[in-house]
Amino acid sequence: MALFVKFWGTRGSIPTPGPSTQRYGGNTACVEIRSEGALFICDGGTGLRELGIDLIRRHEGRPIVGHMLFSHPHWDHIQGFPFFTPAYRPENTFHIYGTPPGDRRLFQLVSGQMRSDYFPVDFGDLSARIVAEDLSDQPIGGVAVRALPQRHPGGSFAFSFESQGRKVVYATDNELDELLPDREASLRNPDALRRLPDELVDFVKGADLLVADGQYDEEEYATKIGWGHPRATTTVDLAVAAGVRQLAITHHDPMQSDADVDAKIEACAARAKRFAPELIVFGAREGVELKIA
Amino acid sequence: MRDGPNQRERTAIGIPLVTGPARRPRPHVIEQVGGPGSPRRIELQDDRLVIGREGDIAIASPQLSRTHLCLTRNGSDFSCLDMDSKNGVYLNGIRIHSAVLREGDQLQLGDVVLLYFAGA
Repeated sequence: MALFVKFWGTRGSIPTPGPSTQRYGGNTACVEIRSEGALFICDGGTGLRELGIDLIRRHEGRPIVGHMLFSHPHWDHIQGFPFFTPAYRPENTFHIYGTPPGDRRLFQLVSGQMRSDYFPVDFGDLSARIVAEDLSDQPIGGVAVRALPQRHPGGSFAFSFESQGRKVVYATDNELDELLPDREASLRNPDALRRLPDELVDFVKGADLLVADGQYDEEEYATKIGWGHPRATTTVDLAVAAGVRQLAITHHDPMQSDADVDAKIEACAARAKRFAPELIVFGAREGVELKIA
Repeated sequence: MRDGPNQRERTAIGIPLVTGPARRPRPHVIEQVGGPGSPRRIELQDDRLVIGREGDIAIASPQLSRTHLCLTRNGSDFSCLDMDSKNGVYLNGIRIHSAVLREGDQLQLGDVVLLYFAGA
């Protein structure tokens, strides 16, 4: 059973429409992961709006059941939710998963952004069935879903999806460089392979596809330490350590044009070639869908 | 002020507009730059077309499936979809299932190489 992964929003921090970002896209974080038995929506940045329109087109009035996993409730990960049109239709059901179990803060923040101070339609007026859930060990539609806490101001979570030997990991907003045993040494000698914590490497291990935060290039990171995002090259080193097959770098910095993202990805691909020649590295781009089979 | 017969030929502050001949829209184009039959230029006039050994755009390559790739117009964009082909579809070197195409994208289907140029 294949997993389909589609990028609906690959920009970090703030939407960046315009000619200079047309190829990679300007919508903020949203990735659709689909199996035969379940629809997962990772993050609800502004890309969620387009996904919603497409889901309604695809389902042609049939009920939509979706499992929504938010890495964290920062704006660029929840802002598309009020514009998610399937949530306005009574035939649809959406499960919003909180981590850790029993924690409803995320649900409250996602729904709270629809208070009248911020938005004209109240969350309670949404017609779809929207349920707060805990992520458990039970597979969802035949897909095992796990979460791992990450390093980000306020906290964030990575999610892994495994089904019949296929594995996809979605791991954005994680300042990997903060997890390095000696970050200063890695800044002085950026060419050396960086060692990441075993727990994280194990979580990602053997992924067919890792969709991961690689917001900054080396130069940008130097002035943004502690902002919650890694050097894209450190993300490559995570993929190398975990034996990942394909790495999609996402959460592109809003200051990066398409040409800048190209340059960042080129540097990542060159690094991968040195440490793991079989690793495929590319920039996550809005509107691209992969089949993991 | 009442609309006069020449109103549409003037700007909001009444300056006459200099108008040239009507501009013809530029079509979306696929250029085949590799594989049997190349070079070849194909204007995408229809809203949906299939490329393959037996598609709307037939290319006589044994590395193509009978129906290999489907191109579909969505508003002002074109999307591509791998029709469960044997050798897959590579967008700028990455194997994909589907994608919204952008200016200058390269699609590789076996030994067939296509470039996409967006219309306007």
